Amino acid sequence: MTTTAPPGTGTLTGPASDRPGGLRRIGLKGGRTAKGPGLAFVLPFALVFALFLVWPIVHGLWMSFTDSSLTLHDTAFVGFDNYTEAFGDPDVWSSLGNTVVFTAISSVPLVLIALAMALLVHSGLAGQWAWRLAFFAPYLLPVTVVTLIWTWLYQPELGFANQFLDTLGMAPVGWLSDESVAMWSIAALTVWWTVGFNFLLYLAALQSLPSTFYEAAALDGAGAWRRLWSITLPQLRRTTALVAMLQVLASLKVFDQIYILTKGGPNASTRPVLEYVYDVGFTGYRLGYASAVSYLFFALVIVVSLVQLRLFRQED
Amino acid sequence: MFTRFSASPPTPAPAAAPALTRRRLLRDGTAAAGALLAAGPLSGCASPAAADASALSVWDLFQGGDGMLMDDMIKAASKGPQGFEVERTILDWGPSYYTKLAMSAAGGRASDVAILHLSRLAGYAPGGLLDPFDLDLLAEFGVSEKDFAPAVWSRTRHENTVYAIPLDVHPFIVFYDKEAADKAGLLDSSGELAPMGSPDALLDAGKALAKATGQKGILFGHVTDTAQNWRQFAALYAQTGSAFTLPDGGPPQIDVDAAIHVVTFMQQLFDGRTNPNNLDYNGATAGFIGGRGGMIMTGEWELPTLKKSGIPLGAAPFPQVFDKPGVYTDSHSFVLPHQENPDPQRRREAHRYIAAMVKQSLTWASAGHIPAYQPVLAEPEYAALDPQSSYADAGEVAVLDPPNWFAGAASNFQNRMCQPLQAALLGNTSAEKAVRQMVREADTLLRQPNPVA
Repeated sequence: MTTTAPPGTGTLTGPASDRPGGLRRIGLKGGRTAKGPGLAFVLPFALVFALFLVWPIVHGLWMSFTDSSLTLHDTAFVGFDNYTEAFGDPDVWSSLGNTVVFTAISSVPLVLIALAMALLVHSGLAGQWAWRLAFFAPYLLPVTVVTLIWTWLYQPELGFANQFLDTLGMAPVGWLSDESVAMWSIAALTVWWTVGFNFLLYLAALQSLPSTFYEAAALDGAGAWRRLWSITLPQLRRTTALVAMLQVLASLKVFDQIYILTKGGPNASTRPVLEYVYDVGFTGYRLGYASAVSYLFFALVIVVSLVQLRLFRQED
Repeated sequence: MFTRFSASPPTPAPAAAPALTRRRLLRDGTAAAGALLAAGPLSGCASPAAADASALSVWDLFQGGDGMLMDDMIKAASKGPQGFEVERTILDWGPSYYTKLAMSAAGGRASDVAILHLSRLAGYAPGGLLDPFDLDLLAEFGVSEKDFAPAVWSRTRHENTVYAIPLDVHPFIVFYDKEAADKAGLLDSSGELAPMGSPDALLDAGKALAKATGQKGILFGHVTDTAQNWRQFAALYAQTGSAFTLPDGGPPQIDVDAAIHVVTFMQQLFDGRTNPNNLDYNGATAGFIGGRGGMIMTGEWELPTLKKSGIPLGAAPFPQVFDKPGVYTDSHSFVLPHQENPDPQRRREAHRYIAAMVKQSLTWASAGHIPAYQPVLAEPEYAALDPQSSYADAGEVAVLDPPNWFAGAASNFQNRMCQPLQAALLGNTSAEKAVRQMVREADTLLRQPNPVA
């Protein structure tokens, strides 16, 4: 998985005498002139980066201090008013809470189930390609298709889930209408939909593990469980770190499937903070306030990322 | 989606393109990609007016059957020497439509004509997002105030200026299986649904229908829906004769006792036995088509779908069960989104176009909508439309959302009102708690600074 370039290669500022033709002319004069073509390569990306990431971030921060609106109304500087309002707004906290709950209950199975599926497929099951396809296929579906399928599965009267419970003689469940169940239903859908990506990362990592460890362990008489616990899982640690990090960030960004399935209901019990930002900003026109809420969320994401980075640094 | 309607005959197909070589493809492709890159972020989609100098640009949110009927109407209006050249843009129904419309108007380069739910006017006209109509000009093209029902016309104004010309009235009504209703003894001598008159009569009707079908009585899809419960509540609440107003700054003016009375009745009606209380929108529609109930409470816009099912379909305005008649409706209306420098000639064309469209609303009525332009209702062709003519009166007792910038179709307000109502219907909360939460939610919205004032 890791590729570390040997020092000195891949940079234009190194000793240039051994470089072929055109590059020699640039390199010979030393570091300063070498920046010319380097910049030219970086510039297109830097422009897009500045225009579509840096500028919106700065502009959004400015907007969060104004009463900017989607309509014609003049924009005025309001200082920290939006932030004060956001801190006192119970909907901000409840939607932030929903996002955190979703992240917790979706990330854990998305990592564990992906690992389990990868181990199963890698264990030499017959028809590997079919399993691989089956586990990965849902990931290829667009969100609209996924939610359409699951709307009907969760449909209260005719849906498969309740019909199934009915044949078992159990009472129907309000999959998307019961406040205490809806978020779990959405997490289940999300696991089904996106677990294939993590599965693929794990499978690729498994396939690249050197067989020497296993041969040595087999000679020492280690059983399958011992090999799993002492070789496979420790060897997968870096992949797990990567998968967990990507997963937590992806789960924090949850919006589409919830917006389509429940619009944040019932009773705002599944409304993630991003939907609240959308509702307030785009449906309610209050861009300034929506920006302030999104910056609060931004702060949370930064904290989570820092904590994660620290944790994985320590592991290494 | 983007459709072009042209008054002139279609241009002949261009001659066969020269043979495509790899080199040519690379060259042209690169040039095209470069042009796209350069034009994309700069032009965006914000300036439909600039797309074609002569064609009238119109925005709407009609998809499916409605969308095709609108196509037919525009095609009809494009014919002849007086025909229009129209560039139609269809956008997705829902909150995002109103975001786009507001942004285009705020930018001052909006389309020449757009569709707006009348219930959203209060969020648009006061903020300068709409331009006013010239009533003299409209009268010149044969359309004036007297052609519309007063209950609807009264909502087209802001500070005594008219900002919207209604195309239709689209109420929340009842559809029923005529055979089942006949068996249940609910029809009058002319074969129409007999008036109810009291809450008990509607409860009994549900039981009789359940008996007649051997299944459920009245179906209503509301679970996870962000409008249905509000439509149902607003109709019944208006029937009690109490007012519901949303004065800026709050608190909302609502008769709490009447509201609790209404929600309690809704709980009794959808008790989960005679009439199911846990259906979602599609489930209720599918259930009615599948014969799992004798009646469905839903929007008239479901007519084309229900008609295809082959059920002997009857329709009626939402039954009056309390003191006053009241039917929850909204109205698709034509508006002139704000333009910074409107061209007087184009504005004149826009007026002429809107007049031509409302006069064609007989076509529009085939989808179930009630034409807002009253002369159409008097035509014998309209009377022949079945079951549309059975609920034509609904427009006269129209109840729309209380006007405020945050209320109306596809708004946060409707969504927030639906949440406690859904919980009450599912038995997760009491009627009183649900109403208290509705008042709280409305108050929260009213306390927010008004972004369009």
